[in-house]
Amino acid sequence: MASGATPAGTAASRSAHVDLMIARILRAGTLVSIGLLAVGVALLAIAGGSPLERTLPGLDPARIPADIAALRPEGFLWLGLLATLVTPLLRVGASVLGFLGAGERRMAGLGVAVLIVITLAVVVAQRTAV
Amino acid sequence: MTVLLLLAGGGFGAGIFGSLLGLGGGVLIVPLLTFGFGLPFREAVGVSLVCVIVTSSAAAGVYLERHLANLRLGMLLEVFTASGALVGGLIAFLLPDRVLAGLFALLLVYSGVTMLRRRAPAAGDASPASVVGDAAAGGVQAPGPFRAALAGPGYRPVRLGAGVGGSVFAGVVSALLGVGGGIVKVPLMHLVMQVPLKVATATSNLMIGVTASASAIVYLMRGGIDPLVAGPTAVGVFAGAMVGSRVAQRIDVGFLRLLFVAVLALTAVQMTVRALG
Repeated sequence: MASGATPAGTAASRSAHVDLMIARILRAGTLVSIGLLAVGVALLAIAGGSPLERTLPGLDPARIPADIAALRPEGFLWLGLLATLVTPLLRVGASVLGFLGAGERRMAGLGVAVLIVITLAVVVAQRTAV
Repeated sequence: MTVLLLLAGGGFGAGIFGSLLGLGGGVLIVPLLTFGFGLPFREAVGVSLVCVIVTSSAAAGVYLERHLANLRLGMLLEVFTASGALVGGLIAFLLPDRVLAGLFALLLVYSGVTMLRRRAPAAGDASPASVVGDAAAGGVQAPGPFRAALAGPGYRPVRLGAGVGGSVFAGVVSALLGVGGGIVKVPLMHLVMQVPLKVATATSNLMIGVTASASAIVYLMRGGIDPLVAGPTAVGVFAGAMVGSRVAQRIDVGFLRLLFVAVLALTAVQMTVRALG
């Protein structure tokens, strides 16, 4: 390893591959999220009334399929919100796989650490929910 | 129906402004929802976090395709921004609205001063060539294997410890105030860690999604996000950001920047009144 050029070049080529894979995931996730939210908004417009005057019960994932099947706006809106929140996490998951494939265990470990923090957020939020 | 259109239209305006001025949009969405629609501050923050994730995911994909964002550096720092966001998300439910409004007023003042000082073009206009140009001025220090893995073309991040500490703070700010936290992360990476400005901006944008998700999960599970408000606002912000990114090259943002600073100043006064009242 006489100079920094070779390893930098190798890292750059691995990076480019992982970057493109993640860019596709982010693009697809964004389109799905916005698509679901837009359908929910359109249904909300058809239903009429002010969104500020309605109160929905909290998130109940089990009800989402039935709401969507019945074309109720809240089903699409909740699913769109979940897709929005999950998209960056899919990006982290894909990064972990990409870095593992490239033999970069330390970077993969950082991705796992991020996912652990997010899991902790879910657990803490559940336990402290009012 | 009218309120629905106003929410989407307000989001659209925030998306265009944010895109033209290189902001995530949170700094506009929270005042819009609190003053424009009478939402409680915490609910506005929850909706803003959703909008910030949408714009971040869309922009980060482009930044990665152009190889502007440093994924490795982003992944290191987002461990800490996400941790900060988790803590901030929990603290947000303990603080009174008035305290949050006061903190937001401080953020607005800081944003306005930063905006007035900014002379360089918005980072969203970054080109790979300009990144290389910035990188030539960046500090370089002898790398260990891990630090070398974080390096990009022409630069190696320095002062990782400071970067880690600052990232925790950025995460807390993001979660408390519903912003992306770029206002902390970009100067941190650029000025402290000596990462080129364009790379710092792109990497910050990449990190926003994960950072905001960590706190948005807390808000969502504690009933702090209303999907009926978040849906139209997020769709509007996304559409506005798309339009803004397409017209950014054709618009002189000098006047817009001054107008924006005036809006920030007015909003800061209103937030201060709310905090004191």
